[in-house]
Amino acid sequence: MSAQGLTGPGLRLDRLPRRRRVNRLMEGLAWLSAAIAIAILGIVVFDVARRGQSELNLNLLTKAPINFSLTNAPQGLANAFAGTLVIVGLATAIALPIGILIAIYVNEFAAASVRNLVILVLDILAGVPAIVIGIFVFLLLVVGSGQSGIKGALSLAILMLPFVARTTIEVLALVPNSLREASLGLGIPAWRTTLSIVVPRAIGGILTGTVLAVARVAGETAPLLFTSSVVGVKTDWNPAHALQTIPVAIFELSESPSPQDHARAWAAGFVLLVFILFASLGSRWLVTRSHRKITGR
Amino acid sequence: MSSADISAEPTRRPFTGRRVRFGDVVLQVVAGAAALGAVVLVGLIVWKVVDGSRLAIVKNGWGFLTRIAWNPVVGKELYGAASFLFGTVVTSFGALLLATPIAIGVALFLTELAPRVVRAPVTALVETLAAVPSVLIGLWGIYVLGPALRSSIEHWLHAGLGWIPLFGPQSAAGASVFTAIIVLTIMILPIVSSISRELFLGVPHELKEGALALGTTRWEMVRGVIFPYARGGIAAALILGLSRAMGEAIAVTQVIGGSPTIQWNLFSTGDSLASKIASTYQGAVTNLQLSSLIYLGLILLVLSLAANITAQYIVRSVARKHGITRGGHA
Amino acid sequence: MPKLGTSIRITSAVAAAALLAVVVAGAASASRQKQSGATITGAGSTFVSPLVFQWQAAVGAALGDTLNYAAVGSGAGITQITARTVDFGASDAPLSPDQFTACNGCEQIPWALGGTSIMYNLPGVKNLLHMDGPTLANIFMGQIKTWNDPAIAKLNPGVSLPSTAITIAHRSDGSGTTYNLADYLSHVSPAWSSQIGVGTAVNWPTGVGGKGSSGVAAIVASTPGAIGYADVAFALANHLKYFAMKNNSGKFTTPGSRGILAAASSDQKPAADNSLSIVDPPAKYPNAYPISTFTYVIVPLQTSKAADMRKFLFWAVTHGQAGQYTAKLRFVPIPKSVLVVAEKAIAKIHS
Repeated sequence: MSAQGLTGPGLRLDRLPRRRRVNRLMEGLAWLSAAIAIAILGIVVFDVARRGQSELNLNLLTKAPINFSLTNAPQGLANAFAGTLVIVGLATAIALPIGILIAIYVNEFAAASVRNLVILVLDILAGVPAIVIGIFVFLLLVVGSGQSGIKGALSLAILMLPFVARTTIEVLALVPNSLREASLGLGIPAWRTTLSIVVPRAIGGILTGTVLAVARVAGETAPLLFTSSVVGVKTDWNPAHALQTIPVAIFELSESPSPQDHARAWAAGFVLLVFILFASLGSRWLVTRSHRKITGR
Repeated sequence: MSSADISAEPTRRPFTGRRVRFGDVVLQVVAGAAALGAVVLVGLIVWKVVDGSRLAIVKNGWGFLTRIAWNPVVGKELYGAASFLFGTVVTSFGALLLATPIAIGVALFLTELAPRVVRAPVTALVETLAAVPSVLIGLWGIYVLGPALRSSIEHWLHAGLGWIPLFGPQSAAGASVFTAIIVLTIMILPIVSSISRELFLGVPHELKEGALALGTTRWEMVRGVIFPYARGGIAAALILGLSRAMGEAIAVTQVIGGSPTIQWNLFSTGDSLASKIASTYQGAVTNLQLSSLIYLGLILLVLSLAANITAQYIVRSVARKHGITRGGHA
Repeated sequence: MPKLGTSIRITSAVAAAALLAVVVAGAASASRQKQSGATITGAGSTFVSPLVFQWQAAVGAALGDTLNYAAVGSGAGITQITARTVDFGASDAPLSPDQFTACNGCEQIPWALGGTSIMYNLPGVKNLLHMDGPTLANIFMGQIKTWNDPAIAKLNPGVSLPSTAITIAHRSDGSGTTYNLADYLSHVSPAWSSQIGVGTAVNWPTGVGGKGSSGVAAIVASTPGAIGYADVAFALANHLKYFAMKNNSGKFTTPGSRGILAAASSDQKPAADNSLSIVDPPAKYPNAYPISTFTYVIVPLQTSKAADMRKFLFWAVTHGQAGQYTAKLRFVPIPKSVLVVAEKAIAKIHS
């Protein structure tokens, strides 16, 4: 691993001022890049808040949408908020246990080659585009029998699964072996050890991974277009029906010609964004706090 | 989440050699079934997509990939993927070109330049950019970014460099390939930056300090030590970013305008594989059209699988090369 | 460590409880749903969607049913009912023999009557502009590129037209409105008929694609110089101007009740598959608006929801045509002769 170009004429002292200038320039560019990245996030959040504020009121959460309104009667996106809760909730209920089971198998039972294969498969699954997952669930389940919230939840669960499984694998590996050995030494069977001792020990990390996966999937539109887009306007909690969701509602409203529709899209987007930011940053903060407690730093 | 830390297998196997209880068998079978299910799922996805595109494959064969057409009129039906393939390539590589320097800059900032206090919050903020839903970035692209680009950068580039085919006349309706490229840049920036950051953190301290001790400036150390060391990982990060850009359907379809042609003008409308599927599948009129759209999906799947598997292979071989000497992990 | 574990445990307990509550609520409402009327799901035409959305609330009150409708375009409506992912499809374009075969035991029933407006956005020109078929065909084929073209000026003497470029806004999805326009243009322009043809989606030589009638309206509303097409209700809702089209008797008519009703008199007898064609009516209907169309609901003859479907469709072709729903959207109640055929067709639905 030789450091290239660092010997001989590259380090000439008489070129030092020039080398220092180049260094300053590069450091400045790095600072600029970070500023750009943060600025983009700030601008997007600010714009979403500003443009949605006219419709950001209780009506948004409580009133149903009025398709093709010729009057200015108050309307909202109550059906979308309800549908998102149901579909994302169901998706988590499906992905979480299966992800934990996969992680248990990979970490506690599998031989090294199987472990590497399953992890590779999970990484590949994570790279399949969301729209292809939508096509897949559509062809498998929707053709011939119709859309429903549960099918939408299934497509989101497929998207969540690799994240939940991968983070669970990592935190399970962090649980010290001494814990397992102590438990086995006490005569507790292996399955009991895993489920009652190892997994609960790692539950913090598992939940963090799940929250991050939920945050990612709450904003997914493409798979839901295929599985849960032919919806009604009334607030519906029944997953056997196709349910409206916030991202699909935003997508549809974004193509409408009416400025009120756009404002409602921004407002719903703001609520979604706040939830995602809260979940994303909040879980990271919890992780940092637990690290600090463990390492005392 | 780092895909770069496939560490050496921890030495632990306290479960082997014990008396096997019924519960153990049940857990192993159930958990094993879940793991097997994941493997089967990937195969099932590939198979279902191939199956759905079978009609179009039989009708079109390989010519589909090079034909520029999308004529859904019954009796004159003719479909081809060439213009969408072109659009996918232009938008994703364009986004990668723009995102790479910024992402590497951010990663360098976070590992070398930023004051310690600032590192964790800024890292969290950059990764949060990845959590912003694509439909919101698309909405922002239609009503904020698109018009802003139209009146500023697109206008200047066309006015000053309009003789270059890339910077031709602007499209009337505001949608453009250029807006799509910027939108994709924003979306892949966090991925490339976070993987690069983890790579740079993994460069051994001794190498970096050794170079600095020789009298190099920080930039020369980065160029001479960090980049060569992390070269493979950066390649993997770029490929993963590319794969993400290729697969993005919603944000692209909102800003790109949807016209099935091949032309070099960045400021006119265009279309990509994912974007075409998102905008048209609901309105597919005939079985051949639906199957052709799924054929587009198959091409997209093959491309992203190829990119992903390549990136995973690079990551694993780099980890194997460096895995044992992971010192100085901050 | 114990303190952190507690806060995480509490958070996860709350989240799990919330999840459970949602699932239970869903199950509870599912069982409640069975007692309060059927859910009828349909998808298709954006042309008829303003009227269907008016029906949604009324159907709930009058019949106790819940009507879900997705305006995804006639093409998608046909595909979805063929795949039985919905209970009914809605299309302005009649089904072809192949589509009937694919749909496997479906029938189409005319259930509404309206007109396609050619909307435009030309700031600074206050007059209602005139247009005729051949010129419109040339515009859509990209041969007429600016507003002050002599062909347009000839139809609008005395109006000063700017040199703004014309941007065509067309449908990117499979659309019965596209079918209606293409059908009309094929009648009036041999060039269109041979080069482009008729279909729910065509190979547009020029222009920007929008999804759904509202997508096209959005493009026209935001692009000066744009011309697009959609059911007249969309032009009204977005305060867009539309052309007065020249019909075969030489008069310039607009898509209002009079023009559409006059056009409907040109074909009073549905064909064997219940379709009617009223584009470009002959000269003996002087008030006719030449781009009018019936729109159809497509249902399987055999369905487990037969009783509910018959109830809903009977309501739609009778009460649903009342002025309170149709008048402000410029839909016209279907004529008696068509209503008779429709009712006969509805009665054929069985379980």
